[in-house]
Amino acid sequence: MQSLLSFDQAPPLAGPLRFFLTAPAFAAGAGLLLLLLGPGLLASRWTPGALAFTHLLTAGFMLQTMVGALLQILPVATGAGVEHPLGVARAVHGLFTGGLLLLLGGFLSFRPLYFQAAVGLFAAGLLIFLWAAGRALARVPASSPIQWALKLAAAGLAITVLLGLVLASALGFSLPWPLLQITGIHLSWGLVGWGVLLLSGVAYVVVPMFLLTPSFPGWLSRILAPGLFLALALWSGAEAAGLALAPWLGGVLMAGCGVFAGVTLWLLVRSKRARLDATHRYWRLGLGSGLAALTLLALGLLMPSLGGWNGWPLLFGVLILVGGFMSVISGMLYKIVPFLIWLHLQNAGQGQVLAPNMKKIMPESAMGRQMACHAAALALLAAAVLWPEWLARPAGAALLVSSLWLMRNLIGGVQVYRRHLQTIRGQLAASS
Amino acid sequence: MSARDQAAVVVDARQMEPPEPFVKTMEGLDELKDGEKLLLMLYREPHPLYRTLALNGYTYRASTEPDGTVEILIWKAV
Repeated sequence: MQSLLSFDQAPPLAGPLRFFLTAPAFAAGAGLLLLLLGPGLLASRWTPGALAFTHLLTAGFMLQTMVGALLQILPVATGAGVEHPLGVARAVHGLFTGGLLLLLGGFLSFRPLYFQAAVGLFAAGLLIFLWAAGRALARVPASSPIQWALKLAAAGLAITVLLGLVLASALGFSLPWPLLQITGIHLSWGLVGWGVLLLSGVAYVVVPMFLLTPSFPGWLSRILAPGLFLALALWSGAEAAGLALAPWLGGVLMAGCGVFAGVTLWLLVRSKRARLDATHRYWRLGLGSGLAALTLLALGLLMPSLGGWNGWPLLFGVLILVGGFMSVISGMLYKIVPFLIWLHLQNAGQGQVLAPNMKKIMPESAMGRQMACHAAALALLAAAVLWPEWLARPAGAALLVSSLWLMRNLIGGVQVYRRHLQTIRGQLAASS
Repeated sequence: MSARDQAAVVVDARQMEPPEPFVKTMEGLDELKDGEKLLLMLYREPHPLYRTLALNGYTYRASTEPDGTVEILIWKAV
């Protein structure tokens, strides 16, 4: 069975792994920033520290893992791989990382030059990524809900980054554009147009596959991505034009995201797995936190007393970013990274040397303890919005520890890969 | 004749977590004698497996059942 275990389109391990291994460093950076700056960071969502904190989580942790996941999942979900995967991964990773560091420099120092340079790097990274992913996606017809979701998510990312480029240009070149309005549209495209759409496309594949749930209902997977994309486009237009229709369209968007989270939770409850592993618990935490964030958002829009509170957008941000997206992404990393390591070791063994069991690549106990630490960090962050003087620094420290722990667990898997690869090479050399 | 009737080996991987379906399919293909077929049952289309099969001289036919099960009948191409 030697030849059977060769894969022609699986991207080299170093392609997606560079995104997955470095992403936790950005989340750790967010924790460190809160630890250093303390309660002042949480004074409002517009403080330089809060903007840097948010972008470490979104343009750092989330963007990096999601780009890596998209490069990896394209051949699995659609049968079409990205051309020159390693070169694309290196270039996009380097440009996005450099762009983010410059953006952070811009937020923290407010020097226009940093914003100008960040615009250049993010734009170059986006062009390369869209060129590569677009060529792969163009080769497959958008016949399945997964392919639709991935195509629209790629478009959502392009719009998010373009709006980000507009904002950074306005700051870098002192342009008189309506920053607050564009910021609202930018973050909505980032959270829904890129975040929820990509998450849904990946969930259609990963949730039934790894968490042994029933498949997503056909009606939901067919209408969710096009429906959310259309509602988001209409909402953006109405918001920009100041139409009274905008809040209603915003409600449609929130309802769509809520239905996705609710249905996914319902599927998880019906999982055929006897024992809940760290990934499963991470998904439940992420979806629960996402639903809490949506509820808070809706209440704030309906109740001016809550909506006018400075902590309202901060608490929403903590619940949706750290509680929602970070939880679900961490849980998926705990399945995707060991699986990729297994796949490449199996391939390297050429059918003569077997890969180790997945559970030995990343022990469940280590993942479970890290997940508990992340949950504690989330609780502390949410409480820190209410009592910043007491809890801002402990919350920052907890996020720093849980993110470094995540990185440690992922690197532990890579160490198993390296050790096993040496064994395989030794055994193959001895038998040849 | 249904796919199940044609298969000498059946791998029902609907309750298996990756990489078990792939491993069981490979083991099952190893057991096939000349002219025999293997049936793999999953809740999704296994695109990476399709490429691996094509690369190694296997032919397959996939169909989706009303309950969402994808049945993939695999045999050695002549």
